Amino acid sequence: MQGAVPFIQLDTLCKSFGRVRANHNISLDIHAGKILALLGENGAGKSTLMSLLAGQLQPDSGRILLNGRQVVLSSTEKAIQCGIGMVYQHFKLVEAMSVLENIVLGQSQGFWLKRSALKRQVAELARAYGIPLALNARVSTLSMGEKQQVEILKLLFRKSDLLIFDEPTSVLTPAEATNLFATMREMAAQGKAIVFISHKLEEVLRIADHIAILKQGEIIDQLSPAADLVPAELARRMVGRPVLLQVQREELEPRQTVLKVQGLGGNGLEQVDLELRQGELLSLVGVAGNGQKALVENICGLLPPRKGAVRILGQDWADFYAARQTETSLSYIPEDRQGLATCPGLDLLDNFLLTTRHAFSKGPWLDKNTAKDKLDKLLQDFAIRPQDSSTHAWQLSGGNLQKLVLAREFYRKPRLIVAEQPTQGLDIAAAEEVWRLLLQAREQAGILLVTGDLAEALALSDRIGVMFRGKLVAIMARHDQKSIARIPQMMAGLAPSEGESQKTYNQGVES
Amino acid sequence: MHGFLLRIAKRQEPSPLWRSALVLFGAVLVALGLSILLLALRGISPLEGCRVLIMGAFGSSWALQDCLLKAIPLFLCSLGVAIAFRLQIWNIGAEGQFALGAIGATWAALAFGAQPKFILLPLMILAACSAGGLWAMIPAIFRQWLGANEIIVTLMFNYIAILLLDFLVYGIWRDSSGFPMTPAFSKNAILGTIGTSDIHWGLVHCALLGLLCWLFFRSTRLGYEIKASGDNVQAARYAGMPYNFLVVLVMLLSGALAGWAGFLEVSASVHRLQPSIMVGYGFTAIVVAWLARLNPAGIALTSFLLAGLRAGVENLQLDLQIPAAFGAILEGLILMTVLAGGFFLSYRIVVRRQT
Repeated sequence: MQGAVPFIQLDTLCKSFGRVRANHNISLDIHAGKILALLGENGAGKSTLMSLLAGQLQPDSGRILLNGRQVVLSSTEKAIQCGIGMVYQHFKLVEAMSVLENIVLGQSQGFWLKRSALKRQVAELARAYGIPLALNARVSTLSMGEKQQVEILKLLFRKSDLLIFDEPTSVLTPAEATNLFATMREMAAQGKAIVFISHKLEEVLRIADHIAILKQGEIIDQLSPAADLVPAELARRMVGRPVLLQVQREELEPRQTVLKVQGLGGNGLEQVDLELRQGELLSLVGVAGNGQKALVENICGLLPPRKGAVRILGQDWADFYAARQTETSLSYIPEDRQGLATCPGLDLLDNFLLTTRHAFSKGPWLDKNTAKDKLDKLLQDFAIRPQDSSTHAWQLSGGNLQKLVLAREFYRKPRLIVAEQPTQGLDIAAAEEVWRLLLQAREQAGILLVTGDLAEALALSDRIGVMFRGKLVAIMARHDQKSIARIPQMMAGLAPSEGESQKTYNQGVES
Repeated sequence: MHGFLLRIAKRQEPSPLWRSALVLFGAVLVALGLSILLLALRGISPLEGCRVLIMGAFGSSWALQDCLLKAIPLFLCSLGVAIAFRLQIWNIGAEGQFALGAIGATWAALAFGAQPKFILLPLMILAACSAGGLWAMIPAIFRQWLGANEIIVTLMFNYIAILLLDFLVYGIWRDSSGFPMTPAFSKNAILGTIGTSDIHWGLVHCALLGLLCWLFFRSTRLGYEIKASGDNVQAARYAGMPYNFLVVLVMLLSGALAGWAGFLEVSASVHRLQPSIMVGYGFTAIVVAWLARLNPAGIALTSFLLAGLRAGVENLQLDLQIPAAFGAILEGLILMTVLAGGFFLSYRIVVRRQT
């Protein structure tokens, strides 16, 4: 059934926004029963290409062929009718409704809802693809992995023949990701075409039948995974120069304590103790939802500590925040770039002023001209596109938005930096840049890095802490190979003995 | 089964300016059409109705001056609610804040009537703005510290304020003539007219206050913080902005502007306090702010147009014996159709054959 004619054929598609060539002469075949991985840096044009396929954007020129016949995907509905379905990075589900209701939502099969028939249909589908889901469960009670399965079922129910996954593993645990790959394999085996967008090179190598690399709006390379293809080689092709997955890092002498957390409890936390000094980087690893969020919100002043003490730069939490010194001394780089760190409806200048406004205040006035000059320089230094301070924040791609947040937060020359998943959703070049900046910032600051990426933590940290169920189960120094080997078990709740964790903790602080 | 199916589809790209203008124009036309239908029910020819309405609004220099006079309180109230709306605080209480402003100004005028003009007038403004501002602050405090919905509280406060005004003019402030009104203000408590026109200096106040507001949002840190908090409350919290303070401040400013309008009404137009000053400027102000998308220049223009509508409806009342409620209906229809028209800016209707 995978004959010579591809399911979807893109023929020299072009799409420009003003002077920016988002897609240029894209020609690509998507075959039924195959998994195609799409790789590219931020702003390489992946999102635009997917929007063209999903009917959200129209190409300026070029054709899209469906089973060899030209189609015009004039709307998202048209794309769905043609059997093209997307699983977005941010799920489009109604949290208050059940799994079944979400799956059958928007079906235009006559006026009446035949609930039991629909349920039977969906249950059969779920069985056929090996997706174990309770159809009556409320979506709000599901894990991220399960929500993703709902999205997949939704597309299968609509009889989508092409399923496009946008960074599907970024919200999943390793076990859930393995499940997803199994489901993708199953779908491919049953004749579905799969497009997989990811930044994680190992994943791409593991799952893809074919790899296409996008760069500056053009497809620069197409290849099939072979035994001799290693992540580093893939990365080289993607960014066009050798990328060191190992980060250059030098030891710094830790200086005065910038953060001290003692017996912190409440809000899902239990007896958390940690200390951070200027010149060091402490990462907290763990599966999301084990208290990292509450800890960060406590430290960053969004949530008052219930039990125990948080001291920042030698000051008590309440005193520190009453004095409003956050702006000069503490930088918080939150995971939620759109919802917390930026105002999507305002322009880049206003977004830059969000946490730097006091530096540009003269009495009651805000000196926007000086701020604009500084921002224009930062936009250049950090290579943020577009380099126009009057652009609205919602128009920026995820990577560029993150660079804007980082540029702003580092501009303040903080002494304590709390960074939450700072490289999530970034391509390698951008992530490397972030790592370099974080390491460089150790000169003047202590850094608390919350990450789900163990490799990132190992590459950057002086010490690593593991969180599980609101507890900091262990803190270890980077050279403590024995403890580091046990991190996966600790993340799963198999805690080390008291004595061992205490010993490594002290080692970490004093070394 | 065959037939046509109407489906709603989201627009994939933002609407251009011409479409916004078209939708606005169309919405006003629909509202006018519906109101003419109402007139027709009373046996009035639509053409005659329109003629009387437009002549009453903009048909003579007298009409234009009347229009401008009505636009002044409307503009200030609307500027006030627009400031609150910027922060996404829904102040529906401009009417009550306007009443409190009138009460405050009257108190100063009655208590210090013998003072010279240059002392008395600023004193009246101060009293009016404080009264209106504090009145608006109460719902803000309820909102931030008790979790009370500001829409409901500000709305209810309107009725309390109006009854308070009645209580005063029927009670301790009642004129010796026995009518429910205060004695006429002393000469020094009256804001004069510009040159030989009927327009009082309140017009200049409006221009200055409008400019100040624009400058406030453009160039001050507080203005910026209000704008940012209005766009994303979470980001404001993240950036350490004093959100509670901003809400209270914004309501204070909002109420003070409505209070200023109350001052102008008693000092420059009526020269005393009486219940008839409450003609619903505070409610119309919400319509104005919304139609003008919170932009000060737009508010000025829209205030003038809606003031014209009021003047025109008064003319309808006089010439064709249309009930006063017709004005409110027309105003309501315009707001409804314009808001409903906004739908066409984000969505489009697709006709499709069902198979």
